[in-house]
Amino acid sequence: MIENSFNRRDFMRVLGWGGATVALSGCGNTSVEDGKEFVTSYVEAADYVIPSIGTYFNTTCAQCDAGCGIMGRVREGRVLKLEGNPTSSINKGKTCGLGQAGVQAHYNPDRVREPLLRNGSKGETITWEKALELIKDKIGVGAGEVAFLTGGVSGHTKVLLKNYLDALGSGHHYAYEAVSPAIIRAANKKAYGVEMPRLRLDKAKVIVSFGADFLGAWVSPVHFAQQYARFRKNAKGERGVLVQIESKMTLTGANADRWLAVRPGTEGILALGLINGLAAAGLSVPKDVLDLIRSYTISRVSKDTGVSTEHMDKLIALLRARSPSLVIAGSAAEGYAHGSQNAAAINLLNKVLGNVGKTVEPPSAISFPQITPTTGSRSALQALNDSMAQGKVKVLFSYGANPVFTAPITMKLKENMKKVPFKVAFAHYMDETAVEADLVLPLNSAMEDWSTSVPEYVAEGAQLNIQQPLMEKLYPGTLGMGDILLALLKQRRPDEYKGYEDFYSYLRGAMVSIKGTLGKASESDDTFWDGALSHGVVKLKDTPISLANKVFSGNLALPAPFAEDGGYPLHLIPAVSASLRDGRNANEPWLQESPDPLTTIVWDSWVEVHPKTAAKLGIVEGDIVEVASKSGAIKAQVYVFPGIHPDVISVPLGYGHEAMGRYAKGVGANVFRMLDPIFDKETGELAMHETRVKITKAGQRVIIVKDEGPAGGNQMGRKIAVRMSSEKANISKEV
Amino acid sequence: MYHFLRLSVLFIGLFAASCGYAANATPPLTTSDDLGPKVEQPIEFPHDRHAGDAAKGGMQINCMYCHTYARRSAVAGIPPLQKCIGCHQSIESVRETPRIKKLFEYWEAKKAVPWKKVHDLPDFVRFNHERHIQRFIFKQGKPVQEACGYCHGDVKTMTVARRQKPLSMGWCVSCHQKDHPVDAASTKTTHGPNDCWQCHK
Repeated sequence: MIENSFNRRDFMRVLGWGGATVALSGCGNTSVEDGKEFVTSYVEAADYVIPSIGTYFNTTCAQCDAGCGIMGRVREGRVLKLEGNPTSSINKGKTCGLGQAGVQAHYNPDRVREPLLRNGSKGETITWEKALELIKDKIGVGAGEVAFLTGGVSGHTKVLLKNYLDALGSGHHYAYEAVSPAIIRAANKKAYGVEMPRLRLDKAKVIVSFGADFLGAWVSPVHFAQQYARFRKNAKGERGVLVQIESKMTLTGANADRWLAVRPGTEGILALGLINGLAAAGLSVPKDVLDLIRSYTISRVSKDTGVSTEHMDKLIALLRARSPSLVIAGSAAEGYAHGSQNAAAINLLNKVLGNVGKTVEPPSAISFPQITPTTGSRSALQALNDSMAQGKVKVLFSYGANPVFTAPITMKLKENMKKVPFKVAFAHYMDETAVEADLVLPLNSAMEDWSTSVPEYVAEGAQLNIQQPLMEKLYPGTLGMGDILLALLKQRRPDEYKGYEDFYSYLRGAMVSIKGTLGKASESDDTFWDGALSHGVVKLKDTPISLANKVFSGNLALPAPFAEDGGYPLHLIPAVSASLRDGRNANEPWLQESPDPLTTIVWDSWVEVHPKTAAKLGIVEGDIVEVASKSGAIKAQVYVFPGIHPDVISVPLGYGHEAMGRYAKGVGANVFRMLDPIFDKETGELAMHETRVKITKAGQRVIIVKDEGPAGGNQMGRKIAVRMSSEKANISKEV
Repeated sequence: MYHFLRLSVLFIGLFAASCGYAANATPPLTTSDDLGPKVEQPIEFPHDRHAGDAAKGGMQINCMYCHTYARRSAVAGIPPLQKCIGCHQSIESVRETPRIKKLFEYWEAKKAVPWKKVHDLPDFVRFNHERHIQRFIFKQGKPVQEACGYCHGDVKTMTVARRQKPLSMGWCVSCHQKDHPVDAASTKTTHGPNDCWQCHK
């Protein structure tokens, strides 16, 4: 928030004096600087290296878990710009803004550069030999488990991690992702038999998305955006219709033909109501489903969900008229105590519409189970937290997760971590978790490191992504995760691993050993390996899985809509923004300064409030409010926004770091901390949208830093986009 | 609070001003005959021996044999050490001279020679070697040393290269305003571009 205490007149005055004094120094002809700088030269240069001309190398983006293939432009030994790798079936040569900022993760001035050992409140630099020896010693002492907390892992890193934990005997792996579709995965597993079926947006004629922000931050946005383009104009020139149902408008919602604001938590009820309406309109529905949905009449559902009967009728007519359709259960539907039931109801709608096999396709199984992705969940952190609270953990490793930042305050994670005698953080930055650790081991950036990965969502066939260094390490004191795991394994199983000098030699050996099963047995080792590196992806043999085709398994009970809570009248939706996600990239200034697509706000948190609610509370844009839940409170600026249900407020995640670096620290407020400890009843996942809040004015008002013009603007009188009442638009007829 | 800020900005300005004067007090970068300052190089490279006329003991090597990137890239670059060694490993007669010994020390340590830039334009100027070389040498058929010499002076008579031309904007423009034939055979003339963004991108 910018405080307006430095007024314009003072600014001009200072500018005048400053300018005049600078002008005194004159502009002499001092610009040609002979003999001041060194010129870059090489000892030996490859033929393709020409100074000032870039060379592209393929690798894999590490900014989120979608696993897009990227290529980096490298010039004079430095990576400058990232583009998409056309060979990768996921993103087909495209990237997103988050991916573009990858270079800022690499060149970030706040990276940890040397292993640090805690001495009181300070970190002391130690050598890698000493650090690894220390880990060996600490694991050797006392009883208790060795807990390895990671984000989602796959590929050869996962293989080494598993082998290390096996070698320890007492090792437990906790895969944790703060923002992950864990409940959807479980519901999909029940409905379709797989956690993540392939969603063919491009084959659908209607998409009904229950809060899946597939164009912004959901699962694999770059891939979905390309499918979406084909959905909007397919080979025949037909245009698909997108209906987005959610309580807070996402980027996908903003692109929809019809955005329906639903009362939070009633997404499942709406889905069953739609089935009821479809059955009445002549769709054949199995008898057990009919029994289930009998009471979900249009009028009752309309009352429960706040969606008008007219809109429901239009949507039902649309779904009847156009087939195949695709119904997606997204993060807005899963974030409740009955999130699993919500997702099950939405998947049921999809199945009743007969979309399985048409727009919902099975993914491919990979013939190497040891490298398949282990996806993270929030319940894993709960389990670890319980273990730590009971004092069972003697050594904690943390890699690719920042639980101290993302855990709700009610978990008391920080306090429980203090019960662990020795905590090791593998870190890029001194983030909130690294600050609590006893030993911080600095990692190579994604642009300096070797690794392989298998993304959870692969669009075609099966593929293994290769991550290779784009340039020399910036700091000699960092090490790759693969190298560290290998060194740790050498402590435990020296005979097995002594043949591998480093992770590179292990990786190359492992890849070359499977070339036969990839149908490349005739190629020499070098040809195969060079081919893999130059493509950046390796196509694996895939075996198709069949989807479960039973429509309904007869176990679905949705609770009545929320009762009003007088003390905490509003629902809090922690929004996952396309740039910041769970906050792991918050120290990349490009992401902080790129405007949020809907509100255009930069460099701060904000509270989205519906105009009616704002009027009721006497709040205007820029008011600083306190948002308080039963568990915690934050302060942030209000942005009055019509794309939200009046009973809901929304604050983006990822802001409010207390550590991590100069661009992240102290910017905005951390919503993770104030989430209430309410869990999905089936999966035990933290229900992200369950928190009820109240807001009170804090008495301050600021000017919001944002890109957009005057609120409700008249487009400078140009009338570029014509305004029309949403009631006049009838999407069942217009397309 | 802002009074304090105002004062500090003033002082910063004054400091910058005095620094500017101090910088101007050092020897001027361009002397009256446009000769640049002498640049100390790690190895005193004899351009005259390599590129000079045969009559004066030179080898008459084409500039582009070593500065191979000039015709392909915006920057001329410095040849990789490999290139020096490629010839010198079989030139026994000078193998034990101090400069060559030093050269081989770098090679054995696999360290690049830290050459200093002699012709260093400010960062807001994008000079493109490739365009000039392609135009003058390959299209108009000018002798290599003459074409390079337009900007770099008579390097074949120097040991360590030293700037002979001012390389100021006015100097660049003075040449861009001259008419010259489109190619060696043509009678049509043209001149260099005068758009700001050709150099200031």
